[in-house]
Amino acid sequence: MSTQELTRAAAPATPLPRRAGRHRRSGPWLLMAPTLVVLLLMTVFPALYLLRASFRDENLLGGSSEWVGFDNYGFVLTDPSALRSLLLTLAFVVVSVALQLGLGMALAMPLATRTRANTIGTLLLLVPFAITPAVSGLIFRELLNPNYGWVNHYLGISTEWLSQPTTAWIALLTLEVWAWTPFVALILIAGRQAVPPEPLEAAAIDGASRWQSFRYIVLPQLMPFVAIAVVLRTIQAFKTFDSFKILTNGGPGEATEIINLGIHRVALQSFRIGAASAFAVLLLIVLSLLVPAMLRVIKRYTQPEES
Amino acid sequence: MSTVSRLAGRTVLWIWLLVGLLPVVFMVSTSLRPEEIAKRLPPEWSFTPTLEHYGAVLAGAAGTSVGYDRLLLNSVVVTAGATLLTIALAVPAAYALSMRHFRARGALSSWILSTYLFPPIVAVIPVFIAAGYLGLIDTYAVLIVPYAAFNLPIAVWILRSSIVAIPVEITEAAMVDGASTWTVLRRIVWPLLVPAVATVSILSAILAWNEFLFALSLTRAGAKTGPVGIQEFTGMFGTQWGNLTAAATVITAPILVLTLIMRRRIVAGLTFGAVK
Repeated sequence: MSTQELTRAAAPATPLPRRAGRHRRSGPWLLMAPTLVVLLLMTVFPALYLLRASFRDENLLGGSSEWVGFDNYGFVLTDPSALRSLLLTLAFVVVSVALQLGLGMALAMPLATRTRANTIGTLLLLVPFAITPAVSGLIFRELLNPNYGWVNHYLGISTEWLSQPTTAWIALLTLEVWAWTPFVALILIAGRQAVPPEPLEAAAIDGASRWQSFRYIVLPQLMPFVAIAVVLRTIQAFKTFDSFKILTNGGPGEATEIINLGIHRVALQSFRIGAASAFAVLLLIVLSLLVPAMLRVIKRYTQPEES
Repeated sequence: MSTVSRLAGRTVLWIWLLVGLLPVVFMVSTSLRPEEIAKRLPPEWSFTPTLEHYGAVLAGAAGTSVGYDRLLLNSVVVTAGATLLTIALAVPAAYALSMRHFRARGALSSWILSTYLFPPIVAVIPVFIAAGYLGLIDTYAVLIVPYAAFNLPIAVWILRSSIVAIPVEITEAAMVDGASTWTVLRRIVWPLLVPAVATVSILSAILAWNEFLFALSLTRAGAKTGPVGIQEFTGMFGTQWGNLTAAATVITAPILVLTLIMRRRIVAGLTFGAVK
């Protein structure tokens, strides 16, 4: 709104009104151009490149490269380990986001009251969220070390955490929940603080239990914030790489090899670009299903009023 | 009953918060322990703190194939470069997307927003190959440009929202007083945009500082950053706990302080401004 007025008002001041008119049309595109170039280069170009590579037997080591049709997809879709890594990824995203939402809610409700203790509590809550992921992966690995790690010592056990699939997954999920629950909780704290106190007071006078107040007054008003947290965390969870790479590197065996690790291993360690590309294209297809949900949630709650 | 359950709830809450700090307590306390007692179990708590690990790590004398001082310098350069590039790209783009007569603005905004979904792992293979052809492997540029690209959806979205939120009356009043477009932009729009630019800068800096995948895949020695280099402290000849945790603390400290001070802005930014 401001800018329209701004350009309209500015136009008469320009010596050549006609040129100003043309400028008005190309101006925004010129301003956009650098951003569009960088984004195309880092999203559309890679996607197209991989789409092409996924139909060829491209290999960074061997020079040959020829059209192989759907062979790579056939490989990815029939190879049990490839298919499993896709399923592992989906399961990881669902479980970790659900845990973060549940725990985030449990932490956010008591912390939402504005008291000095809660300010300190919120700061403590945020600490794990602020640690560089590559560092927390390393720290967790040392803490879980079977010989001199603190975790086994304080729990009085001798578990080889990262050598068994189940405990490796527990370690990974703990790391993810530890790191990201604060983010979810902070969103929900903001949501809880936006709930007006009057209906809650009225409900308390009418004898509503704490659960009833939460269920019928607080929760409905929290839903937009829950939606934002779930959408953002789901997207971010699909991008998870650092913690898995450092903590388990997909092991033991391939028990924790989520798709991001799989693509990385096949492409940049085995240099089988064709197979990795088919993998990546499948990931893009899965992720693109999330686009409408993301656009709807973010636009609805962030769009400044504009016709 | 209700008081008891509330008290129990609060106790659980505070236990959770304190247990969550354990990894950080481990990191900082181990970095201050003399190496001889670093791995002793139960952990030694009565010790004279030493800064020898910080000294060794910051002097580049310890452990990593590239000196840790150089890794930190690389991290600083890449972070600063990516942040500046993000701002330089996002401010004009956000301004264009706020222009009412710009027909494509709705579709372009949506598209830019949707690139937030694009997983970096998908970009890393083509960028790796292209950078190989162009001889850009192990340079700052090959990290700076992708980092800026990954920051753009949030950056453009936040900046655009705050430009659109500037009241028409203010700019109109300036026009009436005879200000030129450029003066209005520089004297009125830009100052009102500073908070949003600050938010975007902080978020960009954090992302670039923490990034691991691209730094791992596209650097060898010359442009390797802190989070990648630090992995070398855990070699096959045993982990140097003192140096590892000192280096980890050095990487973590700036981001930790920034996040605690700017927490509202960071959450607002990471949620595209949906949560204030």
